[in-house]
Amino acid sequence: MFLENCEILENRLVAGHNYLMRVRGDKTIDPAKAGQFYMLQCKNGFYFLKRPISLHYVDKEKRELEFYYEVKGGGTKDLAFMKVGEIINIQGPLGTGFSTDMKDQELLVVGGGMGMAPMKLLIEALSKSNKVTFIAGGRDGVAMEIMSNFSLDGIETHITTDDGSVGTKGNVIVKMEELMKDKKFDMVFTCGPQKMMEAVAKTAKKYSTKCEISLEARMACGVKACVGCSIKTKVGMKKVCHDGPVFDSETIVDFDPVLEKTETCCGN
Amino acid sequence: MNRLQTKFLGVDFKNPIVTSSGCFGFGLEYKEYFDPNILGGIGIKGLTVEPRDGNYGTRIAETPAGMLNCVGLENPGIDYFESHILPDMKANGITTNIIANINGKTVEEYVEIAKRVDKIPEIAVVELNISCPNVKDGGMAFGANPEVAARVTREVRKVTSKPLVVKLSPNVTDIASIAKIVEENGADAVSLINTLLGMVIDIRTKKPVLGNTFGGFSGPAVKPVAVRMVYQVYKAVNIPIIGMGGISCVEDALEFIMAGASMVSIGSAIFSNPMLAVEIEQGLQKYCEENGIENINELVGIAHR
Repeated sequence: MFLENCEILENRLVAGHNYLMRVRGDKTIDPAKAGQFYMLQCKNGFYFLKRPISLHYVDKEKRELEFYYEVKGGGTKDLAFMKVGEIINIQGPLGTGFSTDMKDQELLVVGGGMGMAPMKLLIEALSKSNKVTFIAGGRDGVAMEIMSNFSLDGIETHITTDDGSVGTKGNVIVKMEELMKDKKFDMVFTCGPQKMMEAVAKTAKKYSTKCEISLEARMACGVKACVGCSIKTKVGMKKVCHDGPVFDSETIVDFDPVLEKTETCCGN
Repeated sequence: MNRLQTKFLGVDFKNPIVTSSGCFGFGLEYKEYFDPNILGGIGIKGLTVEPRDGNYGTRIAETPAGMLNCVGLENPGIDYFESHILPDMKANGITTNIIANINGKTVEEYVEIAKRVDKIPEIAVVELNISCPNVKDGGMAFGANPEVAARVTREVRKVTSKPLVVKLSPNVTDIASIAKIVEENGADAVSLINTLLGMVIDIRTKKPVLGNTFGGFSGPAVKPVAVRMVYQVYKAVNIPIIGMGGISCVEDALEFIMAGASMVSIGSAIFSNPMLAVEIEQGLQKYCEENGIENINELVGIAHR
């Protein structure tokens, strides 16, 4: 966990509301792992909390970090306005990443929409000594534009879009079922919308395959101090920022917890 | 020369900077960024007798220069704190003062947790959080009802020999009168302000963002309200004040001190700037040196003169 000021080397619109930021780092580079995230400081201070953005890619030789993010509100809009040469304060790497310490395994990676963000680094890490199959899904061609930033030589890749504009029309689950029927995978990794990950986890379970998922949660601190991103799991209350964002799907009690109203606010 | 040395309720603090409960975990979460012992004290996560899971659903929302939370006092309970967390704090070399924030749903629960905390020698100061809903009183916060605030302070006072700070809710019409009431009932000091009650609606879903609908509003946006309340309370009581609410730089800390705070507590702004405590400590030292202030205490309440 580090905090440092980094120079922005690139901050470009990929497609739609999705941007790619590349920064030059130093001490935040070496420990970085697929599935981890960083807190990025918004520029103007109007929004004072940092934004948790998953690590898209790290080039340790060039000392560069890449973040793929979606402009969703004012804070991420601030990020999108930042220019090449400007300095951004970043904190990280934070959280627990995907398991990548394995050999000679048949692995399936399923990314959906903005959940494609951690997959570039994950695929690179896993494919060094394993066979990786990648299913990339999205609403349309805009969501799939990020694929041009991936290095997928030797990776069996399947693309699905809801509107069929790129790849096969349909969703990642249909493709996943199709593949899992024919081939035994040792492990599944997924990141994407909650409903998609829930279905991925269910499908993996059906084929008795271990599955790691990367959750998203609103958080203020990124270091388990604010307790804002706490979730109930089969092994007690866990913090998405610290114990996750990557979890074994089996430990998750509810992917989309029903909101339970309590008597009144109780603060911290 | 340390111009920040402070004696607060008989306890020595190397500086008047502490952390707000719920914003610094148990002092271990930020240890990789800076040595927590740089702080005069650590306000630890609010404790209850039983472990609490806190509120379900979205717990954090951000607004311009502020944030809301409805964490709901998630904490591992006093037993786990004593058996696991406190030894961990000690093993990690935390030697600065520990301020234990305590909570309950009933007066009896407050008394119970106060008794437990009283037996822990490592805890220097007890902070009584009376912003929690009083379940026997229809969910209204203890601190919003003068009679209930008086009773809970009085009952806790009976069972603790430690310095007792009562943390006040700003969600009242007249905070000075509540401060006077808790002073009369045994509080050694007051801390203010706790969060302001607020809400955020997502215009896309047309629903409140927070799982609990309402949340506690904190961050730089609340600072003027907090400074005003510290100023008012300073005039009304004879006990010292820990000032907090939106402190995000050394200038903010100085404002609170000048309004009447003997100690300042930093909260939400730590989330965005993990090095804030260090910056404020250095900034206060520098301010004192540059302005010929022998000890920071000389500035306490100076805006009233």
